[in-house]
Amino acid sequence: MNERRTNEELEAMFAGDRAGALEPEEVDELALLADVLADPSMWTEPGAGLEDTVMQAVADAEPDAGASPEVRAAVARRASPPRWRRWAFSAAGIAAAIAVVLGVVVATEGGSSPDFNAQLSASALAPGARASATITRNNAGFRVTLDAHGLAALPAGEYYEAWLKNAAGTLVPIGTFSSSDGRITLWSGVSPKDFPTLTVTIEATDNNQASSGRKVLVGAVHSG
Amino acid sequence: MLDAFRRREPGAVRAMYREYGRLVYAVAHRVLGRHDLAEDAVQQTFVNAWRAADRFDVDRDPAAWLATIAKRAAVDIYRREARRPAGALGDVATNDPAVVTLPPDVDKLDAVWHVRRAIDTLPPEEAAIVRLQHLDGMTHTEISDKLGIALGTVKSRSHRAHRRLGELLGHLREPVA
Repeated sequence: MNERRTNEELEAMFAGDRAGALEPEEVDELALLADVLADPSMWTEPGAGLEDTVMQAVADAEPDAGASPEVRAAVARRASPPRWRRWAFSAAGIAAAIAVVLGVVVATEGGSSPDFNAQLSASALAPGARASATITRNNAGFRVTLDAHGLAALPAGEYYEAWLKNAAGTLVPIGTFSSSDGRITLWSGVSPKDFPTLTVTIEATDNNQASSGRKVLVGAVHSG
Repeated sequence: MLDAFRRREPGAVRAMYREYGRLVYAVAHRVLGRHDLAEDAVQQTFVNAWRAADRFDVDRDPAAWLATIAKRAAVDIYRREARRPAGALGDVATNDPAVVTLPPDVDKLDAVWHVRRAIDTLPPEEAAIVRLQHLDGMTHTEISDKLGIALGTVKSRSHRAHRRLGELLGHLREPVA
C-alpha cells in the first residue's frame, strides 16, 4: 500500500495548472480520490464464472418476480379471494399454520435455525467453485444443506461425494451428488462438533469406498 | 438495453451485467473486502434489480441505481457476516467482518463506482500506471523499471491519466442514495 501523499502532491498530480488554486472542498475530493485509488477494490476483478452465476440466480428468483407487471397483477387477482372469503378462511388458516409450526418445532427439536454452518473454499481442481453449508440437528441425525455453485458436470463414471472429517483424519461420508448450482441436502450420522471439517471430493464408480483425496471444496464447520 | 431490462426481456440481465457488473463488484468489494462475499453481493444485486426492474427509471443513470442496490446488498451481507461465529479469535483476520463491525464509510462508497467507471475509460497502459502509483505506491522511476518503458513515457502517461481522472471526478461527494 502506498504512503499517503500530501495535498500539494495530489494537486500537482490531478489539477495541473490549477494546482494551488483549488477550493478546500476540491482538495478534499482529491484526497478522497487518492484514498479510493489506493483501495484494492478498485483494481480487483470479479471471477469469470460470476456472470453465469448471476444469470442462474436471476433465473432461480421467485417465478412471479420475473413476470411482466400485467402477468403479476393477473396472478395476484387469481390468488386473492374476495374479502369475505379471506375473513372466513383466516381463523382456520391461522390455526392450521400454528399446528404446522408446532409440529415442525417438535420434529426438529429446537426449530429450523442451523446448529452449525460452514463456508467452503475451492481447491485448484475446481477454482470457480464455492459453497456454504448449514447443518441442523433433528431426530434422524444432522441435515446438511450444501449451497454449492460452480461445480462442473463430471464425466460418466465420476460423482461428487461430501464428507465430514475429525481431528484424527477419520472420514464419514454424508452423501453423493452430480453437478450442482444450488442446494443439495445431505445427511450425517455423526455430529459436526466431533467432525468439524466438511469436504467435497470427486470419486469414481470403482467399488472403492475410500476417499480419492481429490478435494474440490473444503471448509471448517462452526457452531451456529 | 435499459428498456429491455425494464421489460425483463431475455438477455437483458446479461447485457446489464457485462456493462455494469464490474462497477457493482467494486462497490461490494469496498464494503466487504473479500472476493467471495463481494461476488455474493453482486449476485444479490442483480436479483434485486431484476425483481425491481419494472420500477426502474430508464432516464436515470443505471450505474447509480445499481450502485445503490449493491450498497444495500453488501451492507446486508456485512451485517450477516458480523453476526456469524468465526471460530477461535486467533484464527480470524483482523479485517474480517466478524470482528470489525464498524459500518462502511458511505461517502466513500459513493465515490467507488464513480472512480471505477473513470478508470475503465482510461487506455489500459495509462490505467496500469495509475494502479502502480496509487495501489502499489511506486514512483515514476520504479514504474519505468518495472514496465521496461522510458521514464518520460511513464510521466506523460501518468500526466494524461491524472488529468483525465481529475476532469471526470469533480463530483465525488454526490451521494447515489
